[in-house]
Amino acid sequence: MTSLELDILLPAFVAGLLILATHIPLGMRVLQRGVIFADLAIAQIAGLGVIITALLELNHMPLLVQTIAASSALCGAALLSWIERIAPEVKEAYIGLTFVLAASLGILLMNHDVHAGEHLKDLLVGQILWVSNAQLIGTTILSAAILLAWRTLRNSKNHFAFYGLFALAVTASVQLVGIYLVFASLIVPALATHKIQRWRMPLAYAVGSMGYMLGLLASVWFDLPAGAAIVWMMALVAILLNAIIHRQKSLT
Amino acid sequence: MQKIFLISLLLLLSNPAQAALNVFACEPEWAALTQELAGDKANLYTATGPLQDPHRIEARPSLIAKARRANLVVCTGAELEVAWLPVVLRESGNNTVLPGGAGYFEAASFVKMLEVPTRLDRGDGDVHAQGNPHIQTDPRNFLPIADALTKRLIQLDATNSNEYQQRLAGFNTKWRAAIARWEQQATPLKGMPVLVQHQGFPYLSDWLMLKEIATLEPKPGMEPSAAHLSQILNTLQKQPAKMVLRAAYQDARPSEWIAQRAHLNIVELPYTVGGSDKAKNLYALFDDTITKLLAGLR
Repeated sequence: MTSLELDILLPAFVAGLLILATHIPLGMRVLQRGVIFADLAIAQIAGLGVIITALLELNHMPLLVQTIAASSALCGAALLSWIERIAPEVKEAYIGLTFVLAASLGILLMNHDVHAGEHLKDLLVGQILWVSNAQLIGTTILSAAILLAWRTLRNSKNHFAFYGLFALAVTASVQLVGIYLVFASLIVPALATHKIQRWRMPLAYAVGSMGYMLGLLASVWFDLPAGAAIVWMMALVAILLNAIIHRQKSLT
Repeated sequence: MQKIFLISLLLLLSNPAQAALNVFACEPEWAALTQELAGDKANLYTATGPLQDPHRIEARPSLIAKARRANLVVCTGAELEVAWLPVVLRESGNNTVLPGGAGYFEAASFVKMLEVPTRLDRGDGDVHAQGNPHIQTDPRNFLPIADALTKRLIQLDATNSNEYQQRLAGFNTKWRAAIARWEQQATPLKGMPVLVQHQGFPYLSDWLMLKEIATLEPKPGMEPSAAHLSQILNTLQKQPAKMVLRAAYQDARPSEWIAQRAHLNIVELPYTVGGSDKAKNLYALFDDTITKLLAGLR
């Protein structure tokens, strides 16, 4: 590994760790609640906010764009917690429907401002290798705030407490690493460890960070697109972990 | 003077039936060229916006409706619009504008194409069998295209043949003088090593003799590998460049990433008419392009 390669991989790896920090506990809760596609719906609603800023020609103010993206995501969170309250038995269907409606509304709005479409694309397909130092600092502060809030609110019965934090975390992470990696970071470590009681949290973090590390290395060694390589490596590590656990169980 | 202009504008607006030809331009640069060559004889519609990737737009009913009424379709060709134009033309039911018909004009068939692959492999990403389609970044290409387009306009609308010929002669003189002026202004750029975000500038580089040393995203729409980026940083250590070029419609992040790391200037080129605030017509497009490139030297 040359210093140049390290220089490219390190910021991307730090971005991965920052995302895992918030997404693993949130992912476990997502799995427990059975709202797997809530992240897609929230990201799409945040994207709608960005399209609207572009339509109002406010997109040259990045801070405002972010504020509007986050506020839209919070509105989405309010919608999802309302759905959870009024129709808990069919919430997954409503969440899927919310995703499709938000995505289609985006297409309808973009029909008149094509540049807005490019903005939405930017927002949803963040690429992990392009992370900047400014983004890393911003995400560190946000992740710390979300984790702090999570400690105090994790046992709250209020649906919005969960969905609101989830919305803020996802809005930031999608822009940093893209929707596939966000989905994988939420679901893979949580799913890989969902039968484990002891040391579940450390094992989940290990699966996630191994996935990021091996994926980035594969991107260097085998000349592969980084994001896709990380998703696959994380899944392989998860399978390996389960194989080991399974073997240990059959031995004892 | 202003009054005359306003009155003629009013006349133009109140009497659109005067326009002899409905022209459907795929990209803004061809709309602008048709405007130069046909003036008020053409009723123009542009299918893609300046900040839109002409590779990927969606075929909408409004596009089909415009193609149905078109007498002439002016596009780049060379597979640039392959994702949507064939569908639009087929659905339009307008036989005259189908490829091969008198109403179908492909600009790329009149210029010398660059980057024509010797071997075709779709695995290489967005490759174009007929060469790189981004021909509008070299102003010299507009001369043979203007010539061919005028012939086509005359073929379709012979009654105004004199006016088309006069306009072409005027355009040729003015455009040649402008090219000479741009080349003069661009002399400091000769041989300058540059980085490009995607393979969109071979014609510009060929014209101004820029030296492209690396492409950030060799496969458009595909995330590059870490190996590729480290190779670029390696190349830059041996052969420092001054700037990284990208088209206005593209995501800013890749060029910002490399600019931060390798201390390069980012040059966002308008790429087509309307791609920047200043690039309001064909002349302004290249004025602004040269100004931005020269600013990248600093």
